[in-house]
Amino acid sequence: MDFGLVYPALVAGRLLLAFAPLPDALKHDHQLSSPLTSYPRLQEGVYLFQHGIDPYSGGLFRHSPLLLSLFSTALPLNKFTSACLWTACDAISAWALVKIWRARQRVSQSSRDSLIAAIYLLNPYLLLPTLALSTSTIENMLFLLSLMFASQGQSSPSLLALALLVQLSLPSAIFIVPMILLLLSDPVSRLASPREFNTYLSSILAKLGLWWYFFTEMFDHFRPFFLMVFSAHLLIYVLPVCLKFQHDILYATYILAGVYATFKPYPTLSDPGLFISLISLFPETYQYLRYPIVTTLLHLHSALLLPLFHHLWLSQGTGNANFFYASTLVFGVSNGAALLDAIWAGLRIAVGNLPEGYELIQK
Amino acid sequence: MFWRNNILAVLLLCCTWCLATSEEFHEALTFRPLQDGRLATRFTFTTLLRGAYPRDPSTLQEEDESQHYAIFPLALGQVLREYAVTELHLTLNAGKWDYDHWGYPDEPGVGTGAELWAWMGESAARSVDERWKGLRNALSGQFCASLGSLDEQRTTSPELTFRPEGSLPQWGTTHQLRHGTLPSEHVCTENLTPFLKLLPCKSLTGIASLLNPHRLFDADWHGLGVHVRYLENEGIEVRLSFQSVFDPVRYSNGRRDWSLRSVFDRVIDRSCPIAHSSEIRVAIPKEETAVAITPDSYTTHAGFVYFNVSNASKPLDISMSWPDEQKFEYGSSQSRGRLSVSITNHMPITIQTSYLESMPWLLQFYLHSLQIYSNGVSRDDLISIVSYIPSVPHVRPTLFQAILTLPPKSTLHLSMDVIKPFLRYTEHPPDAQRGWDLPPAVLVPLLHSNSSTLDPGLSNPPSGFEQLRLPRRMYTPVLLVDLATPDFSMPYNVIIMSCTLIALIFGMVFNLLTRKFTLIRVSPEPK
Repeated sequence: MDFGLVYPALVAGRLLLAFAPLPDALKHDHQLSSPLTSYPRLQEGVYLFQHGIDPYSGGLFRHSPLLLSLFSTALPLNKFTSACLWTACDAISAWALVKIWRARQRVSQSSRDSLIAAIYLLNPYLLLPTLALSTSTIENMLFLLSLMFASQGQSSPSLLALALLVQLSLPSAIFIVPMILLLLSDPVSRLASPREFNTYLSSILAKLGLWWYFFTEMFDHFRPFFLMVFSAHLLIYVLPVCLKFQHDILYATYILAGVYATFKPYPTLSDPGLFISLISLFPETYQYLRYPIVTTLLHLHSALLLPLFHHLWLSQGTGNANFFYASTLVFGVSNGAALLDAIWAGLRIAVGNLPEGYELIQK
Repeated sequence: MFWRNNILAVLLLCCTWCLATSEEFHEALTFRPLQDGRLATRFTFTTLLRGAYPRDPSTLQEEDESQHYAIFPLALGQVLREYAVTELHLTLNAGKWDYDHWGYPDEPGVGTGAELWAWMGESAARSVDERWKGLRNALSGQFCASLGSLDEQRTTSPELTFRPEGSLPQWGTTHQLRHGTLPSEHVCTENLTPFLKLLPCKSLTGIASLLNPHRLFDADWHGLGVHVRYLENEGIEVRLSFQSVFDPVRYSNGRRDWSLRSVFDRVIDRSCPIAHSSEIRVAIPKEETAVAITPDSYTTHAGFVYFNVSNASKPLDISMSWPDEQKFEYGSSQSRGRLSVSITNHMPITIQTSYLESMPWLLQFYLHSLQIYSNGVSRDDLISIVSYIPSVPHVRPTLFQAILTLPPKSTLHLSMDVIKPFLRYTEHPPDAQRGWDLPPAVLVPLLHSNSSTLDPGLSNPPSGFEQLRLPRRMYTPVLLVDLATPDFSMPYNVIIMSCTLIALIFGMVFNLLTRKFTLIRVSPEPK
């Protein structure tokens, strides 16, 4: 199908959906937005700032000062502008994804363009957080823009987008190394100084990832040690993955997006959504995936159980925190399975077709 | 031959008839819809032993005359005679009776936990305390409640408060009262089962068949009571009661309509043949909204609707519905809620009051969602925020100060969204499920001396305006907020499971990244 037709149709559909009367509960859902990306908190911060109270003096507002200045000066934050802005972010992200694909294939147009745009714009993991007006949409857009400029070799816009991304979300710093390698240039230090509190997990209101329940049930004595362990754990994946996939840095960035989705401190559904959407850039790996069915079913399983157990625990009161914790563990397993599948496929594809009578093992 | 058989039959009939008239069993069930959408129910099972007399404590040395009961519960009767108890009251309640919203209960004994009190006559043979001890242990065995621990450390004799509800027979000795409470006693099915065994029809037929423990012990408040008293010209009366307050809004997801099926999950299939009278009463609510009661076979008297269970067609299911009402809504979740304050100004002048809310950090405000309604109209001009210091989790509370302007003779509703955090393991108090108490908000009325604050509709200021004395400080009631609690038995499990998952993923990624691929030949070399 023609990209020029499909893409505007999808964007228009998204815009209509954004203006549809949706339940307010989406904005407060803990799977779709975390304390760092939640829209009501953004509204509260802008409101406090406009009334002369420092929004950062309390623990409620955790967004970047960039967003605060954007929404208090340039863009007013009401229903109309938010819907338009968030849909525009998603549209730009999908367009950037298509450009990355074209740069990778070294063509200016291809038949898969509309499929890639559809995968991004129709992915429920990305659709729902956008409808919930989570600022992770903006973060995804900056990531994809940075990746797009890097694929095209334009270093300044790429690093600017990366700098903005790290300003918004500190764990994205794991993308610094692969992005630089992708640009094949010297490290440029135009990065804004990152804010500190993301690593201290001071609010365990996030519910989706592997961190929150772990740190809830921990005794205070061990808290700094495990915070250090978990943060360092996220960083140790960067160099090995980049070294192993130095022949194809874009694939390394894709793997690191998967690592980011599984292990970051305040994950929401948009992080695995980004990872899953990026898989559309590497169709050559599909035949080498070991167990795609299992991964898909695990994702489906956890995607159905997570909101159910969340509601059962907090709204209805008949469930326990353990129900929800178990479903986040399943979600972690499904993300891990997808990650492992991707790594295996990326390595396996280098070997190519096996001659008759030979088996491939790792030693 | 013929007459002999018949005489035997007639004699047998006369005997049972005599026995039957000497014992009477009445059962009743009363429903009272309450103003907050709840439903108060009360089961009463009364057995009257006519012509009976409590045992004289002076005869405790001798052998007791044998008692024959047909309907009167034997186990209870034996206990009463063994310890020569004149009057006995035992209640086992769970929950807090909300007098503000539910009014006065039909049975006054609504103290939480177990409460036992008895009037016993003095005796030289066995002291009252000795018999009290025996009575406690006997009843604790009978009802599976730990009443045996109501020893002298918990027993008192408050004769002014607990007056005898029946008559005390004149034996020449004084009666003494013994009273004990156990507020921490839990009530459950174990206590209901022996209770049901005391009924003549058990829980098989009649009104007692509605006693479904799954529903009864799920109610907002429930209590069972055993009351024995001696009535002067009648005999000994045993009244077994079960009161509960249900929440039909919770079961039906928004409506306060109820029926026997929806409340008890049962209907009455057969009526108890031994019952002298068996009726269900429903109080008609005093509001103007239309109420529909089915089935139609009832009589009305004095604000109550009466159903005769023995005559009604079976299976009997009574229902009450408010057909014109929309949803009866309330509620929040454990992750967020709405804090609201309503202030009523009864005076004919505008009053300005400072409103202080100092909230611990575990309830965070969304100031942008602050809404002010005065008599139903949204009025954002009636509040001006003086200072707001937001809370920092684990460090400091919220301080919110504002000036509210209250128009004359109006009610102001202030509400805003709040979010509730998820606390760490060590931050929860020992009774974490109780919730956290929130400090009250403080209002300080300020009075302006200039006349611009007077209601322009008044031509003269009200008399005594100069001497108006406003309270210096007013406090709102304390609130209780429930937060989501983790599973406290799980720290080790959580740590090992999370760490296992992370280690597994790390290990497999490490494996994939560090090992080399090699080809090995599996089929034999071609010759």
